[in-house]
Amino acid sequence: MPAAGECRKGEKEAVRTGRENTFAIETAALTKMYRNKAAVKNVDLKVREGEIYGFIGRNGAGKSTTLKMLCGLASPTGGEIQLFGKPVSDPAVRRRLGVLIEAAGLYPHMTARQNMVMKARCMGLTDEGSVDEILRLTGLRDTGRKKVKQFSMGMKQRLGVALALLGNPDMLILDEPLNGLDPEGIRELRQLVLKLHEEGKTVLISSHILGELSKISTNYGIIKDGELIEQITRDELEERCQDYFQIQVQDVRRAFALVQEAFPEVQAEVSDSGSIRLYGVKDGAELNQMLMENQIAVYASGFHRMDLEEYFLDRMEGGRQYV
Amino acid sequence: MFNLLRMDLYRVRRSKSVYICFGILLAATVSFFGLLWLMAMPKGQELAIRIGMLTAEEAAESASILKGVDSLVMFRQTCLDGGMYSATFGVWVMLFVCADFQSGFIKNIMALYQNRWYYVGSKIMTAGIVNFCYLILHLLFTLLVNRLFGNMVPYADLGDYVFYMSWAWFVTTAFAVLVILLCVLTRSTAAGAIGVVLLGSGAVVMPLYRILDMFHIGSWLKHSIYLTLAMGPGEYTAWKDLHVYAVGAGFLILYTVVTGIVLRRQDI
Repeated sequence: MPAAGECRKGEKEAVRTGRENTFAIETAALTKMYRNKAAVKNVDLKVREGEIYGFIGRNGAGKSTTLKMLCGLASPTGGEIQLFGKPVSDPAVRRRLGVLIEAAGLYPHMTARQNMVMKARCMGLTDEGSVDEILRLTGLRDTGRKKVKQFSMGMKQRLGVALALLGNPDMLILDEPLNGLDPEGIRELRQLVLKLHEEGKTVLISSHILGELSKISTNYGIIKDGELIEQITRDELEERCQDYFQIQVQDVRRAFALVQEAFPEVQAEVSDSGSIRLYGVKDGAELNQMLMENQIAVYASGFHRMDLEEYFLDRMEGGRQYV
Repeated sequence: MFNLLRMDLYRVRRSKSVYICFGILLAATVSFFGLLWLMAMPKGQELAIRIGMLTAEEAAESASILKGVDSLVMFRQTCLDGGMYSATFGVWVMLFVCADFQSGFIKNIMALYQNRWYYVGSKIMTAGIVNFCYLILHLLFTLLVNRLFGNMVPYADLGDYVFYMSWAWFVTTAFAVLVILLCVLTRSTAAGAIGVVLLGSGAVVMPLYRILDMFHIGSWLKHSIYLTLAMGPGEYTAWKDLHVYAVGAGFLILYTVVTGIVLRRQDI
């Protein structure tokens, strides 16, 4: 007979597995047209419960439009959205969402607390204690009678996150929440998101600060020109962000040909006008020696690891061929 | 919807604009009474002649200016008939609604309420409540100022006050819904302000009335919000006087429906 602790662990695991098998967000062929131009094209976004989903794309790629449709702020031209297995129009589902889309929507002539009370009343919350608790959590409890118009950009963003947290939502949709935050603010927000994740909340977050996103996200979606070109897990990303050996040489064309001839097992690509990236190199010294023997000046060489930013830029160049 | 109404009323109490706009109406009332006191009351005329504002002949002519005028007519003449009330109250409604769009707080609201009619409903109810308070307090202030100026005009019948205030509330609330529609359409304080002043002051209706009257179809515009407020009955005499309620209700429903449709079709 299993011990009580083991039983609880098993139950917890079952709950976790169950949660992971259900989608917090599921879209099918989600499309948004502005006149004849498609801002979002046939997006099949899938975010499981309990994930921190990093949503990445260039400016104008369709991130905010997609997030707006998920929040019900924009109507899709085509396709379907399901949140927690129910249509986005379901009022019960919308209460499970906390959103921060683009800039935080705040009344400038009111204080942080008054803005929070406004949202609380809008939601029908009667207990204003949660307002103070969230203000404390986001470091805004001591702003007192200071009006929002006197807040720094970072404070406004934090208040936007605080508004999203009201009502203890099961899922947070945060569009560029790191904008305007100083390094300390970014660290605090990162810790907050991780804490919420530990509590079991699902987070869909978009940001251009990919370094930060890579520290918290468990899954990624990359959108380009309105199309979701890739959805991967953190493990898959790490697998794909393979090490490479980069050399900076004087004569790229000749060096490229020589490497391909001498090391046929190595995959080579020219990354910019003076650099070559080589995948599958085991011994860098041997490669350098070969180039020097062939009178090719090597300015720099070394092993690198592709990070999320490089991976993202790589995908932006390659587009659909990587899917 | 009542949660939204609670939220709106919380903001109304904390907004300066609601007090500033009401202050403008009160200041206009005091100015109007002051001017009439100088023109029509013996002590005022003395002062006016002394400072060279009136001649003795003009003072004699203007002595009868208040003949047949009661406090309800004074109240109407002060602000409502000329469109100042509509313009001032409309500016407040415009500031209140446009603030949602310009601050971006509308995103917090609409992320919770997919049914956009709730938003329209709460804004109309808020405008109706503020309008009611404005009208009642403004009337009471007018009566007070009249008393302070030495009872320049007599009181009207209570029934006349009730009749006039009820239909004026209806019609001005319909005007508020027109302003809400303007704000939802333009989402701009500047465009909204221009629209409110033009519509509230009759700068659109009156020229249109003159043009249409050349073709003998101008009388239709007598049922517009501006001309109803300017020419509507001050007392109930016959059932046809009730047409003002129909005007108010008609425009209220029409603008509410159009606002709801516009808001449903637009992305936030």
